[in-house]
Amino acid sequence: MNDNILEIENLHVRFSTFDGLFSAVNNVSFNLGYNESIGIIGESGCGKSTLAFTIMRYLASNAQVEGAIRFKDKNLLENSEKEMESVRGNRIAMVFQNPYSSLNPSLTIGFQLDEVGMHHQKLNKAKARKATIEALEMMNLGDPKGIVRRYPHQVSGGIQQRICIAMALLCKPDLMILDEPTTALDVTTEAVILDSIAELRDRLSMSMIYISHDIGVINKVSENIVVMYSGEIVESGPKQQIFENPVHPYTRALINCMPRGGVVKEKTKLNTIPGYVKKRGTDEGGCPFADRCDKKNDTCISEYGIKKIEGTHFAACNRAYAEDIPDKLKVRLTPKKRKNDPDFDIEHNLLKLEDVHKVYGTRRKVYAVNGIDFAVKPHSILGIVGESGCGKSTTGHMVSGLFPPSKGRVIFEDTDISIAWNKRNKETLKNIQLIFQNPGRSLNPSHTVEKIIGRTMQKLANINDKNERRKKIIDILRKVDLGKEYLEKKPPQLSGGEQQRVAIARSLSISPNLIVCDEPTSALDVSVQASVLNLLNDLQVDTHVAYLFISHDLNVINYLSDYIMVMYAGKIVEYGKRDEVMENWHHPYTEALLSAVPEVDPTKQKEIIELEGMLPDPTKKVKGCPFAGRCHKQVGEICEKEYPPMVRLSEDHYYFCHIKP
Amino acid sequence: MKRLVEIFLRRLGSLLATLVVMSFIIFLLVEIMPGDVAQMILGQSATEESVAALREARGLNDPLLERYGRWISGVVVGDLGESVYMKGVSINSILWRKVGHSVILAMTAFIIFVPLSIFFGVLAGVKEKKPIDSIISFFGLATMALPEFVSGVILITVFAVQLKWFPIVSVLPIGESIWQNLNIVILPALSITLVMFGYISRMQRSSMISVMNSDYIRAATLKGMPRKYVIFRHALKNAMLPTITIIGMNMGWLFGGLVVVETLFGFPGMGSLLMTGIKTRDVPLIEACVLLITIIYSVSTMITDIMYSYLNPRIRFQGGQK
Repeated sequence: MNDNILEIENLHVRFSTFDGLFSAVNNVSFNLGYNESIGIIGESGCGKSTLAFTIMRYLASNAQVEGAIRFKDKNLLENSEKEMESVRGNRIAMVFQNPYSSLNPSLTIGFQLDEVGMHHQKLNKAKARKATIEALEMMNLGDPKGIVRRYPHQVSGGIQQRICIAMALLCKPDLMILDEPTTALDVTTEAVILDSIAELRDRLSMSMIYISHDIGVINKVSENIVVMYSGEIVESGPKQQIFENPVHPYTRALINCMPRGGVVKEKTKLNTIPGYVKKRGTDEGGCPFADRCDKKNDTCISEYGIKKIEGTHFAACNRAYAEDIPDKLKVRLTPKKRKNDPDFDIEHNLLKLEDVHKVYGTRRKVYAVNGIDFAVKPHSILGIVGESGCGKSTTGHMVSGLFPPSKGRVIFEDTDISIAWNKRNKETLKNIQLIFQNPGRSLNPSHTVEKIIGRTMQKLANINDKNERRKKIIDILRKVDLGKEYLEKKPPQLSGGEQQRVAIARSLSISPNLIVCDEPTSALDVSVQASVLNLLNDLQVDTHVAYLFISHDLNVINYLSDYIMVMYAGKIVEYGKRDEVMENWHHPYTEALLSAVPEVDPTKQKEIIELEGMLPDPTKKVKGCPFAGRCHKQVGEICEKEYPPMVRLSEDHYYFCHIKP
Repeated sequence: MKRLVEIFLRRLGSLLATLVVMSFIIFLLVEIMPGDVAQMILGQSATEESVAALREARGLNDPLLERYGRWISGVVVGDLGESVYMKGVSINSILWRKVGHSVILAMTAFIIFVPLSIFFGVLAGVKEKKPIDSIISFFGLATMALPEFVSGVILITVFAVQLKWFPIVSVLPIGESIWQNLNIVILPALSITLVMFGYISRMQRSSMISVMNSDYIRAATLKGMPRKYVIFRHALKNAMLPTITIIGMNMGWLFGGLVVVETLFGFPGMGSLLMTGIKTRDVPLIEACVLLITIIYSVSTMITDIMYSYLNPRIRFQGGQK
């Protein structure tokens, strides 16, 4: 009997395409012990998911696989398709990134769970249903008998993912592979799910492979980390060691480019990785990261190979930071100096919202924003944070004028702009710009970069001379670190980060006073996110533009904002200066949100406040505190009955709760 | 269930509105067609006075809306008027018999082509890029490219002239009903099948491919479900949705628009009746035929919509818990 449940040996996966053979997984070997959990980390395109699908033997027909995957001493690559069927879902189960699309929309949830038991364990219908209910109960889903009768679209995303995990649990598998299971979910939901995953491991004693791009998440569920880059393992070992003593430059860059607790814009510039993950041909040798590495030298090709660092800690590179071992994580880039702006006038408000409401629909009303008041100071960054469905995007849309508020006033530089964009005057349109979440979809794919930026200038800034415009466009492109050669390119030719830079250049090209950034980095990889955040910060220092920065990611908000506003169910729950909210929060929701953010540093552990239940039904008006139903600090009946009063702690720090400070 | 009833009622309302508008447009179109009904009845040699007298007698000089009202109120109680060409014969007595024939033809064709094209479409989709897929796709494209009068002639040459399995023309001997002559239906039905096969099987193929590439099929496969089970229980229902829409959209054509096929085979159905009506400028007959075709189109669209919402729980239980 072997100690390892899964042994992967010299695994190669190559895809033959029209452009020739390229390698997706290259010479990967690792072992997974019984009851062990390994986290695989890396950016998109690093072969993490391909590795998972290779283990499940689910690859496109143009894939060529070499090496061995031994699951309980049996090579899965030699199994017949029929034998694989009895392994999949039975001994090895998988959970996917997107729960919504992984459940069949036209079958009931119960049916999709029952069939697993009926197939693998040959249970009859009634027994399969019993097992289903048990599995759902194990995932702490209330009312499992009701859930089995529903269709997937009738339950929320968090519940869908818990159903998917329950489905994977049905046959008590020996190995569970989770491919970014919480990436599409809210941070509070993520916390609950990660917690139940950890609990399940203890109860069922199964091995686990957890794939994620987020070190913080891996930190919660795994003891060992494997770092993958461009299809190869560049570093592996216990999480403590990887975090405290990262040896490979890629690991180090990955840890450093994530904004996390305590990292703020005034003190630190985020680490970025220049370039992007390249498709590798099969004949290329040497370190795959060499072309992006700042410590690159001649030995990168000749001396490449996995080496033992100490104990179970292995890395593919031990030369790059050989000299500065004790200080591996301390290298911080200093950010641009913030000058004091002479025009800065703290008394004056750039943007002010007064009792703004937004109700969607006429017959079936959805109360999206329910009376919010706040102001944005000129030359500052206000970060709005909250779970999906809290009304933060709606707020941004009302400011930018995509639709007018149903009630209340939006005042921008002393003019009332609570009207739709097509009724606003040119000056206002020019002064409020937008950056969207998904640059690939918000830039016209058939326009060149020059046209995208030029059109805005022409329409809103009246720069009609073609040469003058071009000069200005080149200028603005340089500011976002893009060269002249980008003028003629079209969005599909650009990477996600470049597209977002173009979108930023477009909005900055006419020097607005306010830019509404709606989740500008959440569709990007962490290293790209870092460079975009750096850019937004530098541009703000230079141009003194104000941002209304909307994000669900508290770390990003914490890094960039001057003021933070926490929203819940269309209401403000807490508002204040960044440090006041982050360090001296008073609202229980802010507390829960902060506690849910996964901690990157494995040496620090924190208590998580689990939020059960869901957001209040947006089609009903809430009388009391909207958070009352999920609050862990409820004081009594008053929470349900009466809307909490504003408690003002200082000039610009207030919150809405019945709990007094 | 309540939701289905609601969909049904809402669709019924819009169906009625469509019919009112369409009946007016049909009336208007026939009205502006060149030629004069009275002249037509009396023939070229008629005097101007007699034409004018007939116009007056038939109420052809009345305002448009009044004539429309007269026509439509007749239609509502089931009186479609009299044929002009076959003097004095009520349209009801000719039309419904022909409609019956057309329905039999359409049903026969439907029974042949729907299972056939769905089966081969699914097969091609599941075996994407394999030889069998290429053969089915090629055959589908070829039959799609051939107009029905060409494929019809080929069918006649092979099955009627050479093999002598079926009659060359689909004419009903006088005094016999279609039930005694069902063999005349087969060749026209096959001809329709050839037209529809390529269209529907390609549709089914592409929706099958996109469903087979979806996340939930991957999830079902990785749950260890056998491939056949995945295809029949997980993929088929979802992959049928676009096909059903396409079939439904073609039902109107199938029941009333088979002018070319019916003319080619001399089949005594509504298409050839409409053809006769147009040739002889038989206004009430044209109006009755076209109105009937409109009704068939609208009703089949409605049935399609209801089927669609039945198969797709996202429409059936819209809202739900979100």
